[in-house]
Amino acid sequence: MNDIAIKVENLVKKFGKGENEVTVINGANFTLKKGEFAALVAPSGAGKTTLLMMIGCVLEPTSGRIEIGGEVVYDNRWTIKDDRALRRKKLGFIFQAHYLIPFLDVEENVSLLPYENGEKPEVVKPRVKELLDYLGVGDKLKNMPSELSGGQNQRVAIARALANNPSIILADEPTAALDAKRSVDVVKLLRKIAKEKEVTIIMVTHDERLLPYCDKVLTIVDKKIEVKEHLEGVII
Amino acid sequence: MINLAYKDIKYSFTKFIITAISVGILFGIVIIMIGVYRGMIFDAKELVKDIDAQLWVVQQNTLGPFAETSKVHEDLKDQISYQDGVKYAEGITFQNMQMKNSYGAFKVMLVGYDPLGKISPINPNKIIAGRPLKKEHYEIVVSAKTHYKLGEKIKLGRDYYTVVGITKNTVSNGGDYLMFVSLKDAQILQFTYSNERIRSDEARGIKGGNPHLVNAVIAKLKSGYNAKKVAREIENSTHKTVFTKDEEIKLLLQRVIKKSSKQIGMFTAILIIVSIVIIALIIYTMTLEKIKEISILKLIGISNFKIIKMIMQETLILGILAFISGNIFAHFMADKFPKRVVLEANDAWTLFIVIIVASAFASVFGVYKVLKTDPSEAIGG
Repeated sequence: MNDIAIKVENLVKKFGKGENEVTVINGANFTLKKGEFAALVAPSGAGKTTLLMMIGCVLEPTSGRIEIGGEVVYDNRWTIKDDRALRRKKLGFIFQAHYLIPFLDVEENVSLLPYENGEKPEVVKPRVKELLDYLGVGDKLKNMPSELSGGQNQRVAIARALANNPSIILADEPTAALDAKRSVDVVKLLRKIAKEKEVTIIMVTHDERLLPYCDKVLTIVDKKIEVKEHLEGVII
Repeated sequence: MINLAYKDIKYSFTKFIITAISVGILFGIVIIMIGVYRGMIFDAKELVKDIDAQLWVVQQNTLGPFAETSKVHEDLKDQISYQDGVKYAEGITFQNMQMKNSYGAFKVMLVGYDPLGKISPINPNKIIAGRPLKKEHYEIVVSAKTHYKLGEKIKLGRDYYTVVGITKNTVSNGGDYLMFVSLKDAQILQFTYSNERIRSDEARGIKGGNPHLVNAVIAKLKSGYNAKKVAREIENSTHKTVFTKDEEIKLLLQRVIKKSSKQIGMFTAILIIVSIVIIALIIYTMTLEKIKEISILKLIGISNFKIIKMIMQETLILGILAFISGNIFAHFMADKFPKRVVLEANDAWTLFIVIIVASAFASVFGVYKVLKTDPSEAIGG
């Protein structure tokens, strides 16, 4: 059984042309297994979000190969027909801010994607309730995002990322808008999700205090990826 | 299932309703302008329809009595009466006057007719109080909107006239209120001069005026006669110009109100275009306001179809609400206009189709913005 969740090979991303050409990622290689929780760290402008967007099939790489859940999605060109269908079936996204849809309540925000995938309300509703209970916001089902605290909204955003049962979650600085205590709470929660639900998570972060909670740390050095595994002092 | 348009409208309900009402008022103005245009056409035909004469005999080579001045001798009616096919013929006068009472100054058209004659210009169904003229002097019938009351004395020229009847919806071809007096009184008012003028004319060797004139002779035909044919025969034998009822109406529409109605028609067309542009801008702005949410929806995998459906549904609902509020506004305001505003259901439905098509067109800008929105805009703050 293939337990590789993400495999990136010789990935290159260049912006601009001719004299204005800038190489952001130049030959990135790494592999993440199912249920691994990885941090992606690098200075600002080093290409963290660019890498995340390429894995999320939002931004087209210049060359290389990306494999998601055993399916090759990019091999020097997109090999998938519908990037959005892939995202809504296999990927979950968490952002710096919660970015919940303000005109939908908590339940609707979380159930939006399963409904888009054609799932029936009788299946979706109990799952969403269970998910929100699991994340500690089960009592906020009918609340609007504007009625919740930042931490509660971020939990709902995590629930939304999990609602379509993704194999991978791409989290772009999910703790950037939270205080230190809440940041740790969220990262612990992400780790728990990764382990219990076998979801592979890549989390972009600047906060070194959060790294001990991760299985791997991917660092962008000289436009390539350095992978550190089995960190000393990893908190499980 | 989740209807994004419904949820978005529910979330920003007040703002959406205010926007719809604002656009609706604009549509209301369009509806009123169409109503003003219809009202002009209606008014232009109304008096000719009320008089219901089949022939209009006027001064030779004129387009009288409305499009051009026309004066013919009163006794022409006898000559016309003897024409083959003519049942009755009567003289009629039209005179514009400025009136003033406690409700303000206003313009009226004074219609003079023979109260003992066979053709009355007053549609009996339009008399809401009193009666038509019965005497040959000093009686007057007025439009209700002049605010004169039954029994009230009105001074015209040197004499006082008693209001004996009140009519509703009687207007001149220009939309002014009507007042009816006897032909003899009307001739005095229109064709006789003041004593000073008579003395001045006599000093110049001009011998008196002729008060026995009318602006037109109107005639009704015996059954079985073709109005056009009789008109041409009268023209040949009397050296007068004769119009049938349809020709007189055509003259009014083409010569008297053509430019005004064109002006209003063009203004209405511009208003419709402006309304469409405003709807397009509103939808585009509404889409821009949601651009972050749209990029998030696209990023997490929601299809373009679902997002475009939201934009188009919101546009159509906005258009429908604007149409409803526009109609309410137009019906509320129509009676407050000084001249007739005719609101026809057909015009409203035509405008509804235009609004729906325009809304769909307007939403194209929003849809274009959706298609162009990069999902990566959701990442990176």
